[in-house]
This record gives sequence, C-alpha cells and structure tokens, in this order.
Amino acid sequence: MTGIFLWTVGILAGLGFILALVLFLIAKKFKVEEDPRIDLVEKALPGANCGGCGFAGCHAFADAAVKAPNLDNNFCPVGGNEVMKKVAEILGYEVKQQTPKVAVLKCNGSCENRPRTNEYDGVKSCRVKATLYAGDTLCPYGCLGCGDCVAACNFGAIAINPETLLPEVDESKCTACGACTRACPRGLLELRNKGPRSMRVYVACSNKDKGMFTRKACKAGCIGCGKCAKVCPHGAITVENNLAYIDYTKCKLCKKCVAECPIGAIHAVNFPVLKPKPEAPAPEAKKEAANE
Amino acid sequence: MSKYTFPIGGIHPNDAKFSKGCAIEVLPIPPVVYVSMAQHLGAPAVPCVAAGDKVKVGTVIGEPAGFISAYIHSPVSGTVKSVGPRKDLAGNNVTHVEITVEGDEWEDGIDLTPDIVKEIPSDRAAVLDKIKKCGVVGLGGATFPAHVKLNPSPDTKADCILINGAECEPYLTSDHRIMIERPEEIVIGAAIMQMVLGGCRCVIAIEDNKPEAIASMKGAVAKLGYRNMEVLTLKKKYPQGGEKQLIDAVLRRQVGSGALPISVGAVVQNVATALAVYEAVQKNRPLITNTMTITGDKLPVSEQHNYLFRIGVPFSFIAEQAGGVPEYAAKIVSGGPMMGKAIANMDATTVKGTSSLLYLSKESTKRKEEGLCIRCARCAESCPMGLEPFLINRVYKAGDLAGMEKASAQDCIECGCCQYSCPANIPLVDNIRMAKGQVMAEIKKRRSNGK
Amino acid sequence: MENKLVSPNPHVHAKSSTSSLMWDVIIALAPAMVVSILWYGWSALMLLALGAGFCVLLEWTITKWMMRKPSVACLPAAALTGLLLALNMPPSTPWWTVLIGAIVAIGVAKMSFGGMGQNVFNPAITGRVFLLVSFPQQLTNWEIPRGFIGGGLDAVSGSTLLSQVKLEGAGSVADLDIFRTFLLNPGGSMGEISGLALLIGFVYLLCRKVVKPWIPLSIFLTVALVSGIFHLCNPEAYTGPLFNLVAGGLILGACFMATDYVTSPMSDWGGVVFGVGLGFIVMMIRYFGSYPEGVSFAILLMNMTVPLIDRAFHRKKYGYGRA
Repeated sequence: MTGIFLWTVGILAGLGFILALVLFLIAKKFKVEEDPRIDLVEKALPGANCGGCGFAGCHAFADAAVKAPNLDNNFCPVGGNEVMKKVAEILGYEVKQQTPKVAVLKCNGSCENRPRTNEYDGVKSCRVKATLYAGDTLCPYGCLGCGDCVAACNFGAIAINPETLLPEVDESKCTACGACTRACPRGLLELRNKGPRSMRVYVACSNKDKGMFTRKACKAGCIGCGKCAKVCPHGAITVENNLAYIDYTKCKLCKKCVAECPIGAIHAVNFPVLKPKPEAPAPEAKKEAANE
Repeated sequence: MSKYTFPIGGIHPNDAKFSKGCAIEVLPIPPVVYVSMAQHLGAPAVPCVAAGDKVKVGTVIGEPAGFISAYIHSPVSGTVKSVGPRKDLAGNNVTHVEITVEGDEWEDGIDLTPDIVKEIPSDRAAVLDKIKKCGVVGLGGATFPAHVKLNPSPDTKADCILINGAECEPYLTSDHRIMIERPEEIVIGAAIMQMVLGGCRCVIAIEDNKPEAIASMKGAVAKLGYRNMEVLTLKKKYPQGGEKQLIDAVLRRQVGSGALPISVGAVVQNVATALAVYEAVQKNRPLITNTMTITGDKLPVSEQHNYLFRIGVPFSFIAEQAGGVPEYAAKIVSGGPMMGKAIANMDATTVKGTSSLLYLSKESTKRKEEGLCIRCARCAESCPMGLEPFLINRVYKAGDLAGMEKASAQDCIECGCCQYSCPANIPLVDNIRMAKGQVMAEIKKRRSNGK
Repeated sequence: MENKLVSPNPHVHAKSSTSSLMWDVIIALAPAMVVSILWYGWSALMLLALGAGFCVLLEWTITKWMMRKPSVACLPAAALTGLLLALNMPPSTPWWTVLIGAIVAIGVAKMSFGGMGQNVFNPAITGRVFLLVSFPQQLTNWEIPRGFIGGGLDAVSGSTLLSQVKLEGAGSVADLDIFRTFLLNPGGSMGEISGLALLIGFVYLLCRKVVKPWIPLSIFLTVALVSGIFHLCNPEAYTGPLFNLVAGGLILGACFMATDYVTSPMSDWGGVVFGVGLGFIVMMIRYFGSYPEGVSFAILLMNMTVPLIDRAFHRKKYGYGRA
C-alpha cells in the first residue's frame, strides 16, 4: 500500500518537474521582447478597444504611441486630454490639448417631419437598406432608422427614439470614438466640437437635393436658401450642393443663423433658456433648449 | 421529359405563369416620358440633348460614357422638356431626359414594315457597330451591353452561343409570348449573333413548362434552316436562366469563380436580346421597346397583360392602363419574384431591362418573423452555386472577412434560393449580398495593390 | 392607401416553416404512437401527453422569462422532443420520471445551450440517458400494462430481447421469428413496439422531403455489416444482422433521433460518416458493453463529433473544378 502511494507521488512530482522545465525552456526560447512602456501606456488607456483612435485596439495604440516620435498623430478620443496627459508623462512627450467632441446626427427626419411613402420589410440593417433603395421616405439622404449606429456604439450612448425613429446621442456617454460615423452608410453622424458647456449649433440635415424636392420629402430639410450664410458674421457657414454646413472651428455660437433659418433646420442645443424679454430669442432655439 | 438541367441545387417554386395565354398588346404612349440614362450595366450614358431640342423616335439622346456603356435613344417624338435628376424605382436620383410627346414620327432609315428580313449580313464589324449604335443590351436581367459580350477578346473563342428562353422566374411570361408570336425574328437574331461569333453552334434553350414556345421555336428553326442551330428542352428548375446554370445545364461546363462565360467558350443571350439584335441589324431599329408582363398572384387572368412598351413610360401610367393597382397588392415588384426589385416609387419609369409589373399579396410576400437556424441544410441543398449560405451568414455576422472569402461569398448569384427555402425565414440573401460586396471590394483592392 | 412593402429579393417564400417541419415529424411518429397506445393503453397515452405537454410548457416558460437574448419558442419542436422522450421509455414508467426527463431535455440539453438550433446533444436522448443512469429500476421495469387490444398479454413481466441476450447469450434468440418481431414486439420502450409503424412514418418523412435517407441507411448497413461479420465468425456468441436490425431502439433511433437536424451533420457525406460511426458504436455496446442497448449512448457520442464532421465535409462548389 505504502509502495503504491510513494510511486504515485513520485511519478506525479517527477512529471510536474519535467513539464515545468519544458514550459520554462519554451518560454525562455520564444520570449517576445516588448518595450515595457507599451504595457504601461495600455494600462493608462480606457481599455474599451473601440478603435476610435484609428488603431485596432488599445494595445495597438499603445504600441504606435511608444514608437512614434511625438503624440501629434495619436490621440485617444475616449480618454480625452486627461488620459493623454498620463500617456505623455509615461513617454516623456508633450501632448497637444484637443477639444472634446461629440457625435451629432445631421438629420431631423422624424416620422412627423418626413412622411413614410413605403414600408421596409427586409433585414433590420441600415447597410442592407441603403444598398436596396433610397429609404422609406422621399429623402435619399436621411436617416434609415435601422440602428446600425446603435449596434456600433460600444458605450451604449446611442438609442433609437421610438417616436421619431431617429437615433439620439447621449452626450454624457458619448466618447467621440467615431464608430457610429463609420457605421452609418449615409454618413449622417459627425463628430463636432462639444462646445463650451456643451452648447453648439449645427445643421440637422444632409439633403443635397434641390430645395423643391427637399421640401416635398421632409419638413425639416435644409433647402439651401443660403440665408444663414449671409447672416453669419464669422463666415462659418457654407452652402454647397443645396446644403448648409457650419464649420464648428469658426462658429462663435451667436445663433443668428438659427433665427434666420426659414425651416428650422439649424439646431442650437444646450443653450440656457433665456427669460422672456421683449426681444425673445429665436423660437427654434428655445424649443431645442427645452428639449434637451 | 427532358433530362437537361443544371446539376447543383435549385428549387421548384410554383411557376404561376398565369398570363401565358395573354397575347402581346401595344401599350399607348403617355403624354410625357422620362428616359433614364442608367439603363444598363456599366457607366451611365451622357445626355446629348438639351431642353427645347426636338427629337424623333430613335434619335440618340444619350451617348456611352465608357467601354461598358450603351447608347440611349428617344422612344417617342416630341420636345425635350428638361434634363436632370429624377428618382428611379428605388428612389435614388438618376439623370433622366424628360420628353413631351408630339405625334409619333420616326427617324429616317428605320424600317417599320412587318416584313421579315432573312438575309444575314456577313460584315461582322458592321453588324457589331449596328448593335452598339442601336443601344442593344442584354434583356435577361443584367442589361450588359450586347456588343461587348458579342465581341470577346481575341485570345478567347466562343464555340457555342446559348439563346436563353428558360424564363425560370415564376410569373413572367414576356419571353414566352415573344417566342410564340415572333419566333422567326428571334431565330434570325440568334443567327446574326452566331455569325458575329464566327459561326459557332447555337442552342436555343427553353424549359419544358413552355411547350407552345418550344413548338413555335422548333418550327421557326426548321423553316429558316440555319446551320448548326437547335432548340433544346430543359427540365424546369429555378434558376435555370442564370448564365452559369444554363451553361452547366446545356454544355456541362462550369465557369470558374470570377471568370466570364467566354472562358469556357460560351456566350449567353436572352431571347428578347435576340429579338432586339434582329430589329437593330435587319430593321435598323434601336432598342426603344421591350415586352413586359402585368401579373400578380391574385390578379384575375382577364386583368393580366403582356405589353409591348416604350422605355421611359412611368410605371404608374402602365398600372393605370392595365386597370389600376389592385387592392390586394402589398408589394409591387419589377421583375420576377425571386430576383426582381421592389418598386418604392411608382412614378419611376421603365427601362430597357424592365420585364414585369408584379403585384404580390401580403400573404405571399410579407416576410415572416425570423427564427433560429435549425441546421436543416436546405439553404445549402438549394444553392445552385454549391455554397453554404448558413455559413456565409454566420461569418458575415461575425465580421470575419477572410471567412466570407473562404466560404465564397463572392460567388453568390443572389438568386434567392436559400432564403426561399429557409424554414426559419432567415434573411440569408440580404446578408450574403453584403458579404459579397465586402469580399469583392477586398479582392479588387488586392488586385490593384498587386499591380 | 397603405404604403407598399419594399424589401430585397426574393419576394416569395416556400410554404415550409420550422413549425411545419416539426409537425411533419410528429405526424410521422403517429403510427408508432397509435400502436403503442393500442397495445399499452392508458399509461402510454398518459406518458405521451405528459411528455409533450410538459416540454411545451417548459419551452414556453423558459423562452418567455429566462433567456438572456430574446428567443422564439418553437412549440411543435418542444412537443416533438416530449413525444420522443416518452416513446423512449417503457410504458410502465412512473409519470414523474417523464417530468424529470423533460426538465433535463428542454431545460438542460436544449435551452441552456441557447435554445432552438444551438444544442449539441439531442434533447430527447439526453433526457432518456439521464433517466436511464439515474433511475435504472424504473427505466428497466418492463411490466406491460393492459392495453386496448392485445389484452392477453397483460401483466407479463418480461425483459427485452437485448437484455435476454445479455443474460442468456446469443443462442436464446436464435429461433426468434424476426418478421413477427419487426411487426410487433411488446416489451421495451413504447416507441420500439413496431418497427413497421416506425418505417411507415419514416417513408412519410422521405416523401415530404423532410429528411434524407442517408443517415438511417448508413446506420442500418453498418449494423448489418458489423453484426454479420461477428455472427459469421462465432454464431454462438454473437447475434446476427437481422436480429440486430429489428431489436431494441435501433429503428426509432436511426430514423427519428439520429436524423434530428440540429444534432446531425449538414452534408450528405457527413451524414454517412455520422451513420457509420453510430452503427459501429451501437454494435460495440451491444456486443461488449455492460448495457444491453447502446443506441442512445451512440447517438450522444456521435453528436459530439458533428462539429468536426461539418468542418471536414463541404459541398462541391460550382466553378472550382468538376469532381
């Protein structure tokens, strides 16, 4: 009995030793030399592997950041300036401050604004829908409403509003990684400056049709009349292909365009609700502010 | 019972050829037509008329914008009202030429007599040029410019031209009708293409659910007595009319992945294309008309039609002429129920390749709730390309591009067999089409990087 | 006017659905169920109803309340599992074993893997094997209850042919009338009572193109071949091919359990490999195992190889060279 016991223990111990030796030798032989800073940088990153920086994941970003001569081309939009400061400390680089951004939907074709002309019966995917046809309304540029952006968002920041059937971005969760902008087959989501106290002005439309067609398709569509461009004191607005665009680097949030737009296609969000004065602010801005 | 059919996969849907007894009627001309510039595979044509120009029937209004492109002619006589974007049947903007109809005056040189011209010209280059100038495109569905297909590169040789009269799509009967009503013209058109390809063998392939058409075509072939031409009866199976399937069914040859039929010495043209070639070469008449079927699963046969229409006629006008859109129609399809396109916009206009206006009821067309795959392998058994749709669907959902290529998503012909037969109603074709697009883009990228 | 539907092609669909396929299998089981109800009476009817009813209830409850991902309950499939489970039990089984079997079949073998189409093991067989190893007494109590016809055989306490072979050797069944056994063979599980009734149902499935014949055919051929070789070598020790084909649950297992879509290979040749392996394991268990019958174990074992078989066998693609 004791013999069997000893044999068992002996064989198992011997086996364990030999295998440990094999493992050790293999690990020694195939060891991959890696800059230890890569690991440090990776730990400083948020670790969501969202790809928002343009790299395959946080490890790839850390690898690139360590190898790059400076941090000009490497920025983690999710972590923002704070994380980048840490990364810069680890690597001894200087970091350029970047202004925080947020994803914005350039379409306001809600059910009410954009009447449905047919009913889509295919697979629930914007990508499939976009290859099939122009969408279930007369607007060939607007939101398709199947939620590819919702699926693409790693942070649960986007949800389809069941009333408007449009996606809504939750600013507090949005990290501006840009996954949604790549997922949308119509390119309707844009990363824009978050703005001071999240105040920002943008054109909520992407329709490049002539005004006549846009009007027919959607009550909230930009008709490219150009009034906003004329009124803008900062030259931030351009009208191209019957569509206005506000350059957020130039916009000073004066909201003159919001008041001027005959359609209400320019949205101003997160502005404080002003007390009613004789010269009340544009009704559109007020409505939007109230909505937020 | 014919034994000729393609060996891999295939399905047997109810062929529903209700309108096969309806003789071809000539559709009246509406007051305004809108002619699309994107009626063919390849680069859209460039309009060469401007608002205010007077045009006759057959006047060139669009010129080809590349090697794979085609001429477009005015289908009516009148005045060009505008040239600009208009929504096609999918709702996307495409350049259209709007023409107000005034009378019906044809260009000089177009032979409008009903006489059948039997002498086949022997000048190959001149014939090809005529086919090109008349804007003939393949009318089987893909609308590939005919002159390109009939002029293969010198290092390949066609040893057989297949005239596709399979019309395997359920409901459609326009090819059936032209084979019954205009067999001699089709046979002459086929003989012309045979001559262009250097006198190779010519097989007119027809499925066995069209005995009248087979008899009529056999009669015409016997009467005209061209050499090396035969009518072959095929066993009914969908998608027999697919180019690759037809070649396999008739010649027992398989076209390699990504290769053209000519690589195995075959050229496939539809019977309607043969008719268009006849009209172009023998009558000098450009491709401005085609035949279409008005049908539906609950439409009484008395309200079904086969129309000879002019291109550029709005669908809404045709529907009106045929007695209005029936009440039961839940989906309107242009083309067959397997591969046709759902019409999102009835104001869109007919194009060269339009083959039908199909009214489907909600019961027959509304998709049922998607279930879970039970691994029954029906999709794989029905796939005429020998693919495994369930696998492509799975790797597509996982975003595995290499897996999609390995599963040959790029070889999918989008025939719809897998989705048709899936008991769990999984939208296989929708997803596989996306996978195919991704793999094709990847292959293209690799090719351009390799160069 | 209502907005028209728009979707990618195809715009029509075949009539068959997952539910209709399951109904077809249930219809195919009908002859066997009728024979066993006639022969075994109320207890058979009760077990079948209980099995089907409880499986449906479980499937519905779990998909509705307990799945993390929204899932679609396929009630005919659950009913089929319940019926197969009941058919795999002797008619004298106490009613509560069926309930436990159903919980294992639907709850453990099917739903915990993700539900319809996701399970690795055949649910009904898993339930049966669980019962067989947990309650061997109840599952091998071959008392034959009084039936609606065939009353002369009531209260016969017997054993199955296969356990007889195990106990008394191959010689004990040498004089058996194989054809009569094929027609009617009371004793054993309810579904095994009539090979003929099962085959009638299977022919119905073949005609409706619900299943293909390759898996059962390869199982039968392998069983016949293996037992033929052994029998020729030593007829004293090993039973012959005809006996092995009709005895036990082979016909039920091969025609209705091994052909389950979810747990069998998808390609025809994969099915043949699956069937050959299954038949071989069945014979090994029958000849050398400690259990008299091995169809259930063989099916479970071969279920595990299905992913590997599916990897190995693909269809011949068009345009990649003709075979």
